[in-house]
Amino acid sequence: MSSPRFLIVGAVVASVALVAAYLAAGGSSYEPSPTADPCEQREWRSPDGIEESAQQFALSALDGAACELGVSREELAVALVSEESRAEFAAEQGVADGELEEAVRAGLVRAIDDAEDAGALSGFVAGGARAIAERVPVDEAIDLIQGAESLFGGAKGVVGDVLDRAGELLP
Amino acid sequence: MGAEGTRVVRAGLALAVGLVLADSSIVVLALPEIYRELDVSVSAVTWVLVAFNLVLALAAVPAAVATARVGAARLTLVGLTVFAGASLVCGFAGDIGLLIAARCVQAVGGAMAVCAALELLPAVSGSERGAARAWAAAGAAGAALGPGAGGLLTELISWQSIFLVQVPAALVAGFPLVAAARREIPARERPRAGRPHLAANAALGLVSAALAAALFLIVLLLIEGWRLSPIEAAAAVTAMPLFALAAAPLTRRVEDVAARAAAGVILIGGGLAALGLLPDARVLLTLPPQALVGAGLALTLSALTEAALEGRSPQAIHGGWTIAARHAGVVAGLLVLTPVFTADLEVERDQAERAGVAALLDSRLPPSTLFALSTRIAERIEAEGERVPIIGSAFEPLPEDPEERAEAIRLRERIEDEVDAAATHAFSASFLISAAFALAALLPIALARRREVQL
Repeated sequence: MSSPRFLIVGAVVASVALVAAYLAAGGSSYEPSPTADPCEQREWRSPDGIEESAQQFALSALDGAACELGVSREELAVALVSEESRAEFAAEQGVADGELEEAVRAGLVRAIDDAEDAGALSGFVAGGARAIAERVPVDEAIDLIQGAESLFGGAKGVVGDVLDRAGELLP
Repeated sequence: MGAEGTRVVRAGLALAVGLVLADSSIVVLALPEIYRELDVSVSAVTWVLVAFNLVLALAAVPAAVATARVGAARLTLVGLTVFAGASLVCGFAGDIGLLIAARCVQAVGGAMAVCAALELLPAVSGSERGAARAWAAAGAAGAALGPGAGGLLTELISWQSIFLVQVPAALVAGFPLVAAARREIPARERPRAGRPHLAANAALGLVSAALAAALFLIVLLLIEGWRLSPIEAAAAVTAMPLFALAAAPLTRRVEDVAARAAAGVILIGGGLAALGLLPDARVLLTLPPQALVGAGLALTLSALTEAALEGRSPQAIHGGWTIAARHAGVVAGLLVLTPVFTADLEVERDQAERAGVAALLDSRLPPSTLFALSTRIAERIEAEGERVPIIGSAFEPLPEDPEERAEAIRLRERIEDEVDAAATHAFSASFLISAAFALAALLPIALARRREVQL
């Protein structure tokens, strides 16, 4: 083979070999990690520990609120970080303040139901918490999700913060 | 002029050509610094590159025509002085408008210097072919070494230093020409030039579009996507000119210009396609594609420039056409690809953000730690605006508890992997489009061959 042809064939072989190697190594297979459907029920993992229960509670609440609003729980989690992010989310999604509050309360109720089903909350505590969740202002509802450890700490002891709040909020 | 004087003039001309053509790419590594410091968007800062290349493309042929009327040595000197003055203004520019305006003036001076230098080179190189080779090699070396040099200066000193060091360099390049300029007698008549070599110039334009995109995209991928420092990115992209140097002997061993040009564009296309298919966010994986692109650059640019200048006179005007074609290609590449990758970057950034939050929510950190973390991550994302966020710092300080600490570290790695993969993927389409630009150059090369036009 003459050197000009050798040069062109060499260039083709080197290029095809490299592209094939990168394709074989997964170069075209990138997919972002999927986000789960918030309306699907998730199983609570090890609901015995306070921290685990608190985490599952927060996630259930996020799932419930996200399902209500028709967004992913990841979008909602970012939206609930601050008042500004909440306002930005409401504007982007066309969600009125009342709808967002309703969704967060619905999320709280779903989390309480899930906690009760998993045996992480007793029926008595769950009943009180449900009553609070249906009336609590949205900022306090978010605080309740974020500080869910105190809810489960109370559940293991003598009901704690939940009943304090119940005393303040129940008619 | 004695042998020593000839060598000094030749070195000065090579420095002038290398310096000006390095400028089309030298700021690539500094762009992220420039847009941070001047507080502008990625699209706006791209004009620091686009404006220079656009004006160089437009001014090259008129500058080449002016060479005979003014005198090649005088025009080179005037061009280098304008280039030095505009570089000084770039170095002190405090806003993007002034920087872009000064870059336009720099390009006008650069066009004069580069085109006039080609007219002077045959006298000091022994032949027109030798001059064309030296001119093409100096230009290719400048364009390939530019990003690395720019990255080093940005990291060690500042982005402004890139322009300030060019002031003495341009003056040093012009100094040996002062005596020749004094003796020079300009021609009275406008030079007559034949038609430019359309196929070679079209191929040069397409290859330059691909190469500019390659350099620009690799740098942005390394600095913006993978968050390397300019000096690390400079070290990584220096691989390309090193491979170009290693492949340079091939250009002397194969006389067939069309075969060299075709093999070169195939290598550039293959390398760019591989960059679009990177399986992982690792610098090491960019080296084999850079090897192909570097080797292709060495083969193609010299072959096509030689073809465009072979047997055509005056050299300055046909050199002007090659400069116009190359830099118009650079502009086309940047203008086509910038909106593609900025849009892809935005989409991937949003997907990475969602995937990152999903990882955060699925972690076993307690809710209070999780919410504190997500607040800090959201702040980082907000602070970075449209850029790929640097998430790692949001995890500082790490939790005290050993189990929580280990979980936070695992989580940080998972999120960073997710962001890296998304950033890498954001550049895929742009690399594949630039590969298509390179391979499209096969068409004019093949057409010229079929018509038995000596490429």
